[in-house]
Amino acid sequence: MIFTGLLCGALLGFVMQRGRFCLTGGFRDMFLSKDYRMFYALLIAIAIQSIGVFALIQMGLLQFKAGTFSWLGTIVGSFVFGIGIVLAGGCATGTWYRAGEGLIGSWIALFAYMLMSAVMKSGVLVPINDAFKQYALPTNSIPATFGLSVWPFIILLAAITLYLAVRHLRKPKVPIPSLPRKRSGLSHLLFEKRWHPFATAVLVGLIALLAWPLSEATGRMSGLGITTPSANILQYIVTGNSEKYVNWGVFLVLGILLGSFFAAKASREFRFRAPDAKTAVSSFSGGILMGFGASLAGGCSIGNGLVMTAMMTWQGWVSLLFIILGTWTASYFVYVRPRVQAKKLQSASMTTA
Amino acid sequence: MQHKLEVLGMVCPFPLIEAKEKMETLSSGDELVIDFDCTQATESIPRWAAEAGHSITRYEQLDDASWTITVKKK
Repeated sequence: MIFTGLLCGALLGFVMQRGRFCLTGGFRDMFLSKDYRMFYALLIAIAIQSIGVFALIQMGLLQFKAGTFSWLGTIVGSFVFGIGIVLAGGCATGTWYRAGEGLIGSWIALFAYMLMSAVMKSGVLVPINDAFKQYALPTNSIPATFGLSVWPFIILLAAITLYLAVRHLRKPKVPIPSLPRKRSGLSHLLFEKRWHPFATAVLVGLIALLAWPLSEATGRMSGLGITTPSANILQYIVTGNSEKYVNWGVFLVLGILLGSFFAAKASREFRFRAPDAKTAVSSFSGGILMGFGASLAGGCSIGNGLVMTAMMTWQGWVSLLFIILGTWTASYFVYVRPRVQAKKLQSASMTTA
Repeated sequence: MQHKLEVLGMVCPFPLIEAKEKMETLSSGDELVIDFDCTQATESIPRWAAEAGHSITRYEQLDDASWTITVKKK
């Protein structure tokens, strides 16, 4: 049963690679170019998963406990995570699927991310993690806070998402040039065609939904998750304790790597690519910040941003907000400020000349 | 005039950022040849070029995960 994780991960890795589902890029472009496509796509994936999972809960097929809301860890951790994903060039899942495309920079980020997550979860930084977790509110569920059923919230989310998506699709479009078509039929659709982010999001939402029953069947009571499983791999490798560390989630993240590798290989997008020294250092630092932040926040852009949001928890939505703010802050320092300063320097040298 | 931008090995979004920056230094009608290997840029570079009103005179895959695109400044 645990191997269904591999299947679920492979589907996710495939879809994300082919659909270029990159939340880091999406959050960054909201800031840099006022492009909200990817954010709307994320809302679509959240809404689909939310409707599906709560329907299964309603039917008594699934169980979910929102637990407590560690607000301080969520806020600080998510912000740091947002900075990290910009430096790493991809969020946690993005890093996994880019590793599958052969990007050595993503391997470096991934290793740093696993290492720091393990250090936070079972290593020397456990006290820091615990100290943050003390600041918690008893209710994590948004509907429970208001004493309401979850459905009004889901309907509201679905309505907002639908409105934003339709408004976006109605905008006049510039034709985007694409590569010359070399394949036909299914092969074209799967390995060549450019996927619309909204179509990709529908698939991501469905896979996120599928993850719930598959994972719960193995006794792991949650949906997609990346950080804990990533840490688990390293924890298993160094302790050899398979009972404690090898679970559905571990197979899920390994599946992402395999699915993405298959997608990239079949579409001629796989090649080992080495980063330059600067990119390597940036990837490593990014991975460290991602691991630190996601452990503190109790989830990454998938665990919190896609899954806990769909579960209508404070943790999910507060985390999503602060991941975005972290991404914007890092984007300013990495992309905007250097250009502003270069221009200042340029105009200064012109006036002196 | 044709200019060349080497962004091989750079991860997303740097190929696009470098391309935008380089484009600003070019004059209208100049071409910028961008060789890149970042998968995401197969979408982001043509999108940027089209939205900014530049035209694309060549766009091809050279090898596994290796592409070239020529953008003509408007």
